[in-house]
Amino acid sequence: MFQNNREGLALALPAALFTAILFLLPVGLLLSEAFKIGGQWSLQGYVDFASKPLNQTVFLRTLKLGFLVALTSAIIGYACAFCIVNLDGKNRGRVFGLVVLPLMISPVARTYAWIVILGRTGIVNDAILALGLSDTPIRILFTETAVFLGLLQLFLPLMIISLVSALENLPKDVIPAARVLGASWIQVFTKIILPLTKDGLVMGGTLVFTGSLTAYITPAILGGSKVLMLETLLYQRVNVANDFVSAGIIATILITMSFGANLLLKRIAKARS
Amino acid sequence: MSNAFVSLQKLSLAYGQTVVVPELNLDIREGELIALLGPSGCGKTTTMRAIAGLMTPQSGKIHIGGVDMTHTPANKRGIGLVFQSYALFPHLTAFENVAFGLRLKKMPVSEIKSRVEEGLNTVGLSHLADRKPAEMSGGQQQRLSLARSLVMEPKVLLLDEPLSNLDARLRLDMRTELQRLQRATGITMIFVTHDQAEALALADRIVLMKDGVIEQVGTPDELYNNPASKFAADFFGFENIFAIKGSNIIGSNGSLTANFDAENGHLAWRPSAISVGSGPFQGTVMGVSFAGEQREYVIKTDFGQIKAANPAADPVYEIGTLVAFDLPSKSAWHLPNVGNDS
Amino acid sequence: MTSKWTSRLIIGLTLTFLIGPFFIIIFAGMSAGDFMTFPPDGLSLKWYMKVFTVESFRESFALSLFLAIFGTIAALILGVPAAYAISRYNIPYAETIKTVVAAPIIVPGIIVGLALLRYLVVPLSFTVTLALFMAHTALVLPYAVRVVSSSLNNLRSDMEEAAVLLGCSRIGAFMRVVLPNIQSGVLAAFILGFVTSFNQVPVSLFLSGPGVRTLPIDMLSYMEITYDPSVAALSALLALLSVAIVFLAEKFLGFSRYV
Ligand SMILES: Nc1ncnc2c1ncn2[C@@H]1O[C@H](COP(=O)(O)OP(=O)(O)OP(=O)(O)O)[C@@H](O)[C@H]1O
Ligand SMILES: [Mg+2]
Repeated sequence: MFQNNREGLALALPAALFTAILFLLPVGLLLSEAFKIGGQWSLQGYVDFASKPLNQTVFLRTLKLGFLVALTSAIIGYACAFCIVNLDGKNRGRVFGLVVLPLMISPVARTYAWIVILGRTGIVNDAILALGLSDTPIRILFTETAVFLGLLQLFLPLMIISLVSALENLPKDVIPAARVLGASWIQVFTKIILPLTKDGLVMGGTLVFTGSLTAYITPAILGGSKVLMLETLLYQRVNVANDFVSAGIIATILITMSFGANLLLKRIAKARS
Repeated sequence: MSNAFVSLQKLSLAYGQTVVVPELNLDIREGELIALLGPSGCGKTTTMRAIAGLMTPQSGKIHIGGVDMTHTPANKRGIGLVFQSYALFPHLTAFENVAFGLRLKKMPVSEIKSRVEEGLNTVGLSHLADRKPAEMSGGQQQRLSLARSLVMEPKVLLLDEPLSNLDARLRLDMRTELQRLQRATGITMIFVTHDQAEALALADRIVLMKDGVIEQVGTPDELYNNPASKFAADFFGFENIFAIKGSNIIGSNGSLTANFDAENGHLAWRPSAISVGSGPFQGTVMGVSFAGEQREYVIKTDFGQIKAANPAADPVYEIGTLVAFDLPSKSAWHLPNVGNDS
Repeated sequence: MTSKWTSRLIIGLTLTFLIGPFFIIIFAGMSAGDFMTFPPDGLSLKWYMKVFTVESFRESFALSLFLAIFGTIAALILGVPAAYAISRYNIPYAETIKTVVAAPIIVPGIIVGLALLRYLVVPLSFTVTLALFMAHTALVLPYAVRVVSSSLNNLRSDMEEAAVLLGCSRIGAFMRVVLPNIQSGVLAAFILGFVTSFNQVPVSLFLSGPGVRTLPIDMLSYMEITYDPSVAALSALLALLSVAIVFLAEKFLGFSRYV
């Protein structure tokens, strides 16, 4: 009954064409602008872009933050997911729901809270002053730390969700079995849990890393112009200087890195299995 | 040909490039109860789907009631199909499931009601009319699926392993019920099974398939007593089949010199035709099992392994005993060499 | 039973980190003073009230709501047939089609906004609202396809065949048998799409014009000018709205399994 593939194609094509023509085509054109300097095809735009120290700093910072956020959320994620999986059914559902919940809330709202926490008159500084750790408020807002915390809060749930479902699919009793055979907890983690959940880790890692690379709100609100990341840099270049070449280059970098992270992590997962 | 109600002519069926049924010819008379029998994966479901119109043949024709229906869409063929997986509608109650097709026919509500009630009654599910399929047992779901097809009064009813998911008891009940229904309604029915006992018990004629090819068509009697090929013989319980050459039996380990009055082909015996205790041949008992009426033996001989059976009341020969047995010529079934026997 | 307490501690700390900040904004919005501080200088609901009187908030809220509702509906209209084709048919180039439809997830929103502005709005004189609508549709489409596909894959295709054999047309079988059985998946896709679209920021950074601004963008620009607690109040309200939607969805659909 479903042999008529023309019929199938007719059902699938509107969605594909819509995205291809009205979405991917304009994006492709924008990316191609980076290769056109004064109407000529050239790589000069890339050379110029790469030679500017600011661009280098921003590029490295973006990579560094993406990597740190992914690493930290993997560590917290494993601990937390392991605890969640060991809860009984009802509590597990509740806690899981609370983990998913923040994903549904406006990132503006989520990031805004950190201003209240980290600002000059925020909770953290109140505590520091009250404890006498410093005489004047220290600046946390508009530092990499603030951006890091904001990103971590934004994307940690994605890692936990991925790891919870990976851990749930762990064959029953492998951990007690390994313990009985004399494995230490570290060995249980490296020899059993990690290999068996690596797909979840890869999935979560990709989501968190690419999410952090391409986040706009968090660096915009918590980093400002002091801690630019690629997205905020792009916005600035276009808004301040109408610099569409840089915009195209940054866009290409972001998309390439997202794709690259995806492929690389998939490759790693395959190689190890 | 002229009195064929369902006629499959040179039917060729494939999934993409994989040909499942190369060329199939089959004529079925009106009101016949046909069993489509064969091992798993031989193309039974595929053939049924083609008859129902759920898949388009590569080539060949399907005539139903004298009309060429090869390209008639499935919803216009007037054929019922009881799926191997029931395919009930989970969001509808038992009543609504059965009423589904009748409602599409724009039948008056009162008539729908009485037909559905009758249908549910026939399969013994009247008391569960308001249940959803998920709240019914496997056997109840299967019967519901049958009722859903029956109320449509199809010209031909196809049943894909209709009894496979029932327990032994219910299976026997449903067997009788199916046969009764078929006699009462006169609907032409084709049912798929890979259980030879079920085919023998139910069908007017059995169609035995292997790898997409019809191996033999005939009445249960014919297939049981006169299997036409080694495959058919094996399928119907001739568990001892030996090639024969110049009146010698060729087993897997060697040959047995004896005087059988066959020149070539195969000789086949059912275990029940070989009794242990006396006879010209010897072997060692490798296994004994009790099977109700009789006791079955696996015996290792110089030329290969044979299966024999004695009445259960006879003395038991323990494993390892050397026993005598006979391969009686008169109960041997002779299979002449035919094309696709291997 | 130390491990039990360790486990509770880990979960507790993580949840505090993830959810605690929302409680802080709820209170920050209750400040009686004119500046954001925490703990707030006295309690009042005046900022919560003020949110409703700000003209631009009302307008941008309406635009965001419009985009979220109609963008998601459009995505479902395109996405449900596509998901159906992908899960039931053996269509040629299925992988390519899947990749194309999923691509908007990988493309950063800010680039999308800029690209549509430069190649649709400016040269082809699309209105900004139309461009926003298309961008939101394309962004929600991957989620719609994914969620609906997973519902369809849980549904055996022989049900449609049974319906056809009972006399349904193909479309009839879809409407009568498939749709009723995937409706919670479709609803979940709608909610996920709605929330994704409503919270979407970067796409509209460049796609905004006089009087055409989505709510998050409006909040960002309000924050640049004023540092009063009304944005905190508005954030808190939006968070509560999301919580309410998710709570209901979880209760009636078991929403979290679709995320
Ligand atoms: N959708 C499909 N695509 C490709 N090959 C298929 C498909 N469905 C079935 N086949 C192949 O066609 C052959 C016949 O399948 P079919 O389902 O007709 O067997 P069957 O006789 O009904 O077996 P069973 O007794 O196990 O139900 C099998 O080898 C199977 O692998
Ligand atoms: Mg089958």
